[in-house]
Amino acid sequence: MVTNKENQRDIVKKNDFNSLLKLFLSVLLIVVATEIFGTKTFRIGPGQVVLLPMLFAVIIGMLITPNLLGSKIKVLKKIISMKEVETAGTYVMIALLPLGVKYGTLVGPNIVEVVKAGPAFLLQEIGNLGTIFIALPLALILGMKREAVGATASISREPTLGVIGEKYGISSPEGTGVLGTYLMGTVFGTIFFGLLGGFSAATGLHPLALAMASGMGSGSMMAAASGALAESVPAMKDEILAYAATSNMLTGVTGLYSVIFLGLPLVNFLYDKLSPILSRKDRGDE
Amino acid sequence: MSLNLDRSLDYLKMLIIVGILILVGQRFGYGISIFSALPGMIIVILISFLALTIKDSFPNLHFPAFAWASLTALILSMPFMPTAELFLKYTNEVNFLGTTTPILAYAGISVGNKIEELRKLSWKVFIVAVAVFIGTYFGSAIVAHLVLKMQGII
Repeated sequence: MVTNKENQRDIVKKNDFNSLLKLFLSVLLIVVATEIFGTKTFRIGPGQVVLLPMLFAVIIGMLITPNLLGSKIKVLKKIISMKEVETAGTYVMIALLPLGVKYGTLVGPNIVEVVKAGPAFLLQEIGNLGTIFIALPLALILGMKREAVGATASISREPTLGVIGEKYGISSPEGTGVLGTYLMGTVFGTIFFGLLGGFSAATGLHPLALAMASGMGSGSMMAAASGALAESVPAMKDEILAYAATSNMLTGVTGLYSVIFLGLPLVNFLYDKLSPILSRKDRGDE
Repeated sequence: MSLNLDRSLDYLKMLIIVGILILVGQRFGYGISIFSALPGMIIVILISFLALTIKDSFPNLHFPAFAWASLTALILSMPFMPTAELFLKYTNEVNFLGTTTPILAYAGISVGNKIEELRKLSWKVFIVAVAVFIGTYFGSAIVAHLVLKMQGII
């Protein structure tokens, strides 16, 4: 009996080890291939598009999952199954930490300048609410109802997910809305900001202001936005990364409260004002 | 307090795996020799481990391990800190962009279980999400730009 149980445990352990090894080798292959391929930059009109290795890495990673290329190629499904996909989620959290350390080493030496820019850091956190004025009317015009409140209250990272889930319930219309934006951010956020970050320098907004804006409460989105921005304005590289990291840390502290006390009240207020005007419910085409 | 040894060992194991990925990746991407970067990587792993331990010790603070890691490194690298010179000398061998590639490779794979959910969403959610991204980013950037200008920093 005992040996039988031990055998079983050995088998489970061996399976776990094989699964980890498959995931490790796949990621290693992606990392080496994308690093050798390197950073590609090119101009489109007034702006610069910066394609960092991380951008290729996230796309390849997505493609090899079971529901995409895995559903076509049987061997791939054997290497990356749903089990490896689950494990990869844990590794994202761990893999972010060395980046967190690197960001700290960029802020530390610039701490005096960063503190001087304190007021800008604090006030730009409020600038995050800008999204409500653009996205809420659009959501209403597209025919969303209360889903729009959840979807546009903030960029919908984990703290917002928690707040709206608690207040309205995650299966409420508001919950559906916040989950939609959350999911979009998780899947496309880094790709989107990786492209926008490099290009945004062409808007005429100061690189340091853009750097602050890239701290939105998601380590990977910040890395994508500020990494691309830093590559397109190499003369200010260290400052850009330092400002982005500081802003992201600040969002980590203020983000939750900003959603509870500013974002949600504002989005609800605007919803009440705008939905009678913009909602399509009376036209009967939905 | 919710520390336990098994979990700590798991953390260390995962951090070492990530460390290897970064070392190999930056060897190919930026030509940094694995041996010269090793001491810096060990420091990075230790701080990351510390960050996880702090986060698990104070779950009520809701401050992510990522932020603890940044904060610890920030304090160690401030100009008036006696640790700054050595700490930066070693961690400079760990390339900033090199740390991002493994994260995103894992992140890409990790969304594999969300593809089906994503297919169920309407195209409207996509449009609204893009508006949210743009609004958040440029909303902050415009405010930051104005305030930095008023302060005379830019």
